Amino acid sequence: MRNLFFSTALGLALVTSAANAADVDTIAVLTPEQGSDFGWNQQGVDAARAAAAAAGVEIIVAEGLGYGDVRAPMRELAADGADLLIAHASGYNTAGPEIAEETGVPVAIVDSPDALKAGLVADYTLSGHEGAYLAGRLAAKMTTTGTVGIVVSGEPPSWNSQSAGFAAGVRAENPDVNILYSVIGPAAYSDAAGGNRVTTSVIAAGADIIFGQGNGSSFGMIQAVESNQATDGSDVLFIDVIGDKSELDTGHLLTSVVWDMTPVYSAMIEDLKNDTFGTRSYSISLADDSVKLLKTPQVDDEAWNAVMELRDQILSGDITVEAMFDAEDVRAMVTVAE
Amino acid sequence: MGGLLTEAFLSSLLTGAIVAAVPILLAGLGEQMSEKAGVLNVGIEGMMLMGAYTGFLAAFQTSSLWLGFLGGILGGLLTALVMAILCVRMGLNQIVIGIGLTLGAEGLTALLHHFQFSRSYPRLPAPERLDIPGLTDLPVIGPSLFARHPIVYFALLAVVVLALLYRRTNLGMTLRAAGERPAALDVAGGNVVGIRLAAVLFTGAMAGLGGAYLANIAAGLFIPFMTGGAGFIGIVLAMLARGRPLWVLIGALIFGAALSLTTALQVAGSTMPTEVIQMLPFAAVMLVLVLFGRRAKLPSALAVSYERGAR
Repeated sequence: MRNLFFSTALGLALVTSAANAADVDTIAVLTPEQGSDFGWNQQGVDAARAAAAAAGVEIIVAEGLGYGDVRAPMRELAADGADLLIAHASGYNTAGPEIAEETGVPVAIVDSPDALKAGLVADYTLSGHEGAYLAGRLAAKMTTTGTVGIVVSGEPPSWNSQSAGFAAGVRAENPDVNILYSVIGPAAYSDAAGGNRVTTSVIAAGADIIFGQGNGSSFGMIQAVESNQATDGSDVLFIDVIGDKSELDTGHLLTSVVWDMTPVYSAMIEDLKNDTFGTRSYSISLADDSVKLLKTPQVDDEAWNAVMELRDQILSGDITVEAMFDAEDVRAMVTVAE
Repeated sequence: MGGLLTEAFLSSLLTGAIVAAVPILLAGLGEQMSEKAGVLNVGIEGMMLMGAYTGFLAAFQTSSLWLGFLGGILGGLLTALVMAILCVRMGLNQIVIGIGLTLGAEGLTALLHHFQFSRSYPRLPAPERLDIPGLTDLPVIGPSLFARHPIVYFALLAVVVLALLYRRTNLGMTLRAAGERPAALDVAGGNVVGIRLAAVLFTGAMAGLGGAYLANIAAGLFIPFMTGGAGFIGIVLAMLARGRPLWVLIGALIFGAALSLTTALQVAGSTMPTEVIQMLPFAAVMLVLVLFGRRAKLPSALAVSYERGAR
């Protein structure tokens, strides 16, 4: 009798669950800049397309929406039948949950782990801090001036954790290496001229390797790296993040902490189908190669092999890289001039 | 912090200030002439952006920075032509048209960039520099001030030329009359519409040149929305300068230095919060506005369209 009761209960639960499981036909991704920037926007759009294709759902790409108010395009996409809105910019974190409440369409936002709401709002606070740590180890091995620079166009949590990871890697490899840190401006994501100006100053202050996080402003950083020489006369090298700019490289790209967001978006679609959307945050890691370092001709085999050994140590747990999302933590790790 | 006050770093600080100041200076000088003639050119941000795009396009296609600057001037000029026709010839609201032009230029240049460059992000080579013999070797200020691209010297020369134009020539008086007493200028046989048209076109050319400088020298590439409000800062400088080009130069240098200082303080490891440091340039503008804003003397007929015989 008891078995019959449990069997019936289990059967009812399964039937109910199947009946409640959301149908996902279409997802939409919203980006502030065009999805062709070799960085945050492109990786987001490419990953959303890949995840949609893998799940067999339609994808709507709304790109180049800027950093302002996106409520209107979000409402439009909801009206067009999107079953999930991926709001791919930290500037959309206020509008996203509001639109989710208003339209009932689930929204995924970034850098807001406290904003989870079952069925409506999910967060993906991505961090390549482990990859950045490896990049820091590599930079400390290869610097000839003994000074490296971190240039960022803003201080969102994802970038803070990478800046901190990079600084931790440099410190672990060689505590005597100076780390200079500079923010271009508040949300200066597309300020290429600012990226160039700030990077030029950081190079003049002694840095010969620049760890740059900037979206559109990264191109200004690269221009500065290509146009200036280090204070010891050597070429300056650049470490990029998120995307792969190797096809634009003229011999100054040391590596990139590349992100693949496909597993994140695939998990979102899966959770949506299973009615578990909004119950957890999503992340990327070295373990599934959703975070990895880019190999370029500027890295010699010996240094690369050493870094890959360090990667294995992170995966085995011998090295732990703590994710620090606060800008204060980053500033506490950089060099203060005497 | 003293450890970072090396010659190279101070030189870089000055260089950063000059690089940041030049586009604002060019835009501010252009805006000043427009305002003198009675046209409030709010569209200057859009003119800069168009100049940045066309300037970069020309430089990239021809591999010549000078043709790039010419392209920037033409881009700004064409955008200003729209403003001139709608606001000066047709008498439409200058502020509304100016905002519309800026928004239109933002959209158009972003679209053009998307189709042309967004898959390749081409960059220009480092610009050549003109060394001033005997001065370039001076410590700290030498490389910063006397080893710049010739366009920087052109911008400084423009300050002198415009100051002389406004103070010493009939054209300068005519410009002032168009902004202060357009009806009187008309009665005296002057061509109010003609002089305002010319002033607006000059503004477009200078703003376009400033945009081309931003794309070709300061950044080495074009990125959508890259002017980032430089045109609006130019408007503020022109309004505060009370018609004097030298004051536009001083204002641009103060803003550029404040902008460059934000990097210097961070690189020196200042414990001041980044947010506070980054407010410095804008706080400087606000401070100047508070101190000198009330003394700003604007032309009586600024932003008022002129129609012969209208009361």
